[in-house]
Amino acid sequence: MNEILDNVVDRVFKKALEFNVDDASVIAAYGRENMARFSNNSITVVNTLDEMAVFLYMIKEGRRVVGITYSVKSDELDKFVERLFSSMQFVEKSLEATSLPKGAFKYSGENDYDKRIEELSEGVVDYCESAINAALSEGAKRVSGTISANTEFYKIKTTGGVEEYDRVSYISANVRAFSETNSSGHGLSCATYLSKFHPDEAGKTAGNFARESKKTGYWSEGEYDLILGPTVAADIFQMVGSSASAFRVDSGVSFFKDCLGKKVAVETLTVEDYGTVEGGFGGRKFDDEGVPTQKNVIIEKGVLKTYLHNTSTARKYNTVSTGNAGIITPHPWNIVVGEGDMSVEEMIRECKRAVYVTNNWYTRYQNYMSGEYSTIPRDATFLIENGSIKYAINGTRISDSVPRQLSSIKAIGKDRRWVKWWEIEVPVYTPAILIEKSRITKAQF
Amino acid sequence: MHKEKFDLEIPFYVVKEIEAKGAEYVEARLHSREEVGCILKNGEQEPALISSSYGLGVRAIFNGALVFSATNIVDRENAKKIAEEMMRKARSASGLTKNRIKFSRERRVKKKWSALEREKLLDKGFEEMLRVLKEMDKIILEEKEYIPMRFLELEISLEKKFFTNSQGTYVEGYVPRLYVGGFLTGLKNGRSVQKSVEFGGSGGWELISNLRIFDGLKCQVGVIKELLEKAKKVEPGLYDIITGPEVTGIMVHESIGHPFEADRILGREGAQAGESYLKAGDMGRKIGSSEANISDDPTIPGSYGFYLYDDEGIAARKRKLVVNGVVNELLHNRATAREFKTKSNGSARANKFDREPIIRMANTYVEPGDYTFEEMVKDVKRGIFVNSFMEWNIDDIRWNQRYVGHETYLIENGEIKYPLMNPVIEVTTERLWTSLDARGKELQFWAATCGKGDPMQGVPVWAGGPHLRFRKLEVKTR
Repeated sequence: MNEILDNVVDRVFKKALEFNVDDASVIAAYGRENMARFSNNSITVVNTLDEMAVFLYMIKEGRRVVGITYSVKSDELDKFVERLFSSMQFVEKSLEATSLPKGAFKYSGENDYDKRIEELSEGVVDYCESAINAALSEGAKRVSGTISANTEFYKIKTTGGVEEYDRVSYISANVRAFSETNSSGHGLSCATYLSKFHPDEAGKTAGNFARESKKTGYWSEGEYDLILGPTVAADIFQMVGSSASAFRVDSGVSFFKDCLGKKVAVETLTVEDYGTVEGGFGGRKFDDEGVPTQKNVIIEKGVLKTYLHNTSTARKYNTVSTGNAGIITPHPWNIVVGEGDMSVEEMIRECKRAVYVTNNWYTRYQNYMSGEYSTIPRDATFLIENGSIKYAINGTRISDSVPRQLSSIKAIGKDRRWVKWWEIEVPVYTPAILIEKSRITKAQF
Repeated sequence: MHKEKFDLEIPFYVVKEIEAKGAEYVEARLHSREEVGCILKNGEQEPALISSSYGLGVRAIFNGALVFSATNIVDRENAKKIAEEMMRKARSASGLTKNRIKFSRERRVKKKWSALEREKLLDKGFEEMLRVLKEMDKIILEEKEYIPMRFLELEISLEKKFFTNSQGTYVEGYVPRLYVGGFLTGLKNGRSVQKSVEFGGSGGWELISNLRIFDGLKCQVGVIKELLEKAKKVEPGLYDIITGPEVTGIMVHESIGHPFEADRILGREGAQAGESYLKAGDMGRKIGSSEANISDDPTIPGSYGFYLYDDEGIAARKRKLVVNGVVNELLHNRATAREFKTKSNGSARANKFDREPIIRMANTYVEPGDYTFEEMVKDVKRGIFVNSFMEWNIDDIRWNQRYVGHETYLIENGEIKYPLMNPVIEVTTERLWTSLDARGKELQFWAATCGKGDPMQGVPVWAGGPHLRFRKLEVKTR
C-alpha cells in the first residue's frame, strides 16, 4: 500500500512545486469499508467501498486553496494540480495565511491496526448473525443494524519537510432490537482489534433493553435528574470537542467563546482529545499540516484549558498549533472523558426522581453560543423514582443547554466505552453521567 | 476534473461480467461531482475549495441478496475484481437474507437529460463567487452593531451520472447546482440570536438573482435586529399558528416526507434514521384535515432536488403523498414497489459514486390554497405568526416533533403585534395536520441538505409550501 501512496503523493507534490508555490501539503488516503446492513433479522445489503482520495493544500503569496480529488491516474492528478493552481490567482490574499510548520517532527503516536480487520471481507456477514441471534435470545422479535469493518492508510508530504505514513483499522456493530410491542433497545461495540469486538454483546444489550422497556407508564413534563448512558453522554462530549475548535469559536458556533481558563464544568470533569490513543480510531499521528497530533486537555477539573488549533487559528490566538488541522476548521480526533467512580446501578439508587436515557438522536441547537439545544431520547428510556426503575417512558425530549449541563454533572460513571455510530461522528470514550435537573418535555397530542 | 465525457466501456463490461456470474439483476453507475467553494468568515476569506469525485458504483442481486460495491479506480482489472467479490459476498449473505430482494418490473429506457444551466457555473470561478459573498457581507455589515459574527459560503456543484443495468436501460443525467449558506450571530442588549440561512437551486449563475439571495439576506439581518431590540417573552398557552413557507417546509419534510419513504416503513433504516408511524397497510389512512394536500415533485425546474430520472433508471414524476388529509402515495424505489405490489415512482438517489441509491425526497411541499396572508391573520383572535425557525427535531417514527421559532410575532384580534423570543411548538404529527384549516395562495421553497442512509448520504432538497394556519396548538417557552 505504501508504494501506491508514495506514487500518488510524489506526483502531486512534485507538480505543485513546479508552480513555485510557497507551501504545499499533500495527503493521500486509501480507505476500504466492508459493511453489512440488516433489518427484520435479514441482511438488506452488503457494501464494499474501496477508494483513494488525494488532498492538496497550497499557499502562494498569501493566497490559499484546498483541493480534493478522487481521480488518481497520473494525467488526471497533473490536471488537478494545474486547475487548482490556476484558480489561486482569483483567491484573495489572506492576513490569516501562515506558512506550513517546518519539521523535523517526532511522531510518537501509533494508531491501532489489525490486519484481520483489513482482510475481513464477507466475514462481516457472520457478525450480523451473531448480533441478531444475541438480540433474539434476549426476547427481541426484530433486529436491525450494521456491521462495518474499516481500514485506512495515509501518507503526508509537506514543504515543511514532513513525510510520514499512518494506518488504522476499526470495526463496529450498531444494533437495534424491537420487541413485539415495538419497545426498542440499542447496543454498540466499537473496537480496533477483532479480539475486542463483541457484536453479540451489542445484540444482547439491544435485546435486553427492548425487553426491559416493554412495560411503560405515565410521566409528566418537568425537571428531572438525568442518567445518560455512554451513547448519550458521547453526544454531549462530541459537542464539547467540536465547540473547542477555534474556528467554531470565531464563527459563533460554540458555547466556549471567551471561556479560556474559566470554569465551564464541574470539577470532576476532564475531557481530552487524542490524535492517537489505544482503542481510538478517529485520528492520525499527523494533522493536515503535518503537525504531530497530541493529547490536548480540553477541560481539566472543570476548567477550559485550550481551544483546538491549526497554525492559522493558533497565530490569531498567539499560541501554537495543537495538531488539530483541518486546513479550514481545526477539529477533535478522539474524545476521551475522565472516569468517575459510580456504576449506572449506583446512579439509579442515588436518584429520587430521574430519567435514564440509553440512546438519543436529532440534537439541534437554537443558539450555539448559549448552547441551548434539544435532543430526542430513543430506545429504552426509564423513569426512576426513589432509587429504582419504575417503568419505561415514551415521547420524551431533553431541552436544556450544554453549559448548564456541564456545570450540573453530579456523578461520572466508572465504566467507559468507545462510542461511534450514526449519530456520533467523532469517536468518544466515555462513561455514563448523572446530570441534575434537566428539563424533559413532551408533545401536544 | 469534471468528466466532460464518461468512458462507458467499464459500466457495460461490469454489468455483463456480473450477469455472467448468475446475478438476477445488475446495475452500474458512473458518477462524478465537481464542487467549487468559497468561504468568508467575519469578512476574511478562508482557503478556497475545489473537490472532484469520480467513480463507479455497482449493485447486483444474487439469489435475492443485494450487494453494492464502489471504487474510484475505474478500469477493467478492478471491475473484474469487483464482480468476483460481489458474487462471493452475495453467496455469503444469501443464508441470512431471509427477505429475498426483488425489483418491480419497469420499462427499459434510453435517455439523456439535464437541468437547464443558462449561465455556465464553471465560467464564473472564485473571483465572481467572492464578489457575491462580499456583497452579502456588506449587507450584514450595515448592521454590524447587531451582528458581529458571520459566516458565509457559496458552493457550485456539477453532478453527472451515467446509469445502465442488465435490463437494457441507460440514462445519462447532469445537474448543476448553486448553494449559498450563511450563519449569523446577533448580540445586543445582553441577548444573543442566531440564524442559519440557506439558498439553493439547480441551474446556472442566474440562480444568484433567481433565488433573491441579497433580498433574502437583508430580511434576515433586519429580523435579527428587530429580535434583539423588541422581542418579548411568549406567554405559554394555546394559540392559532400561522407558519411561513420555511416553517411549512420543515414540518412537511419531517412529518410527511420522511415517514412516507417506503423503505423506512419496511424497517430498512431501523437502526439509523428510524422507521415510520405508517404501516404497510396504511394507504387511505386519515392523518390530517381535508386541507392537508402534500406532494413531492423532483421535476420542478430550477429546484434544488431536481432530477428527471432516478438512480435506478426510472422516470421521475410528481407524487401526491397526501390528498385531502388521506395517505395517497408513498415514495418508492424498485425494491419497495415490488413489496407493495406497485411500480416505482422514481425516488431512488445516491449522492456520490460510493453510495447505494436509496429512497429520498426531492422537493416536498404543501399544495397552495386560496387564502391571502392577510385573510388568514384577520381571522385569528390569539395567535402567533412563525415565519422561520432554528431548532427543530422529530422522533424516529416521525410522530413527536418540535419547532422553535426564530422570526415570530404575536397576533391579537386579527392584527400582527410585536416579535416574540423563541416560542416552542411541540406536537404530534396527527395533531398538527388535523389542526390545519387554511392554506395560502403563494408557494415558496427553501433549500436544505437531507441526511439518510448508512454510510450517510446528504442530498439536496427543497421543502416548502404556502403560509398555513393551524388552530389551537400549544406553545411553550424555551
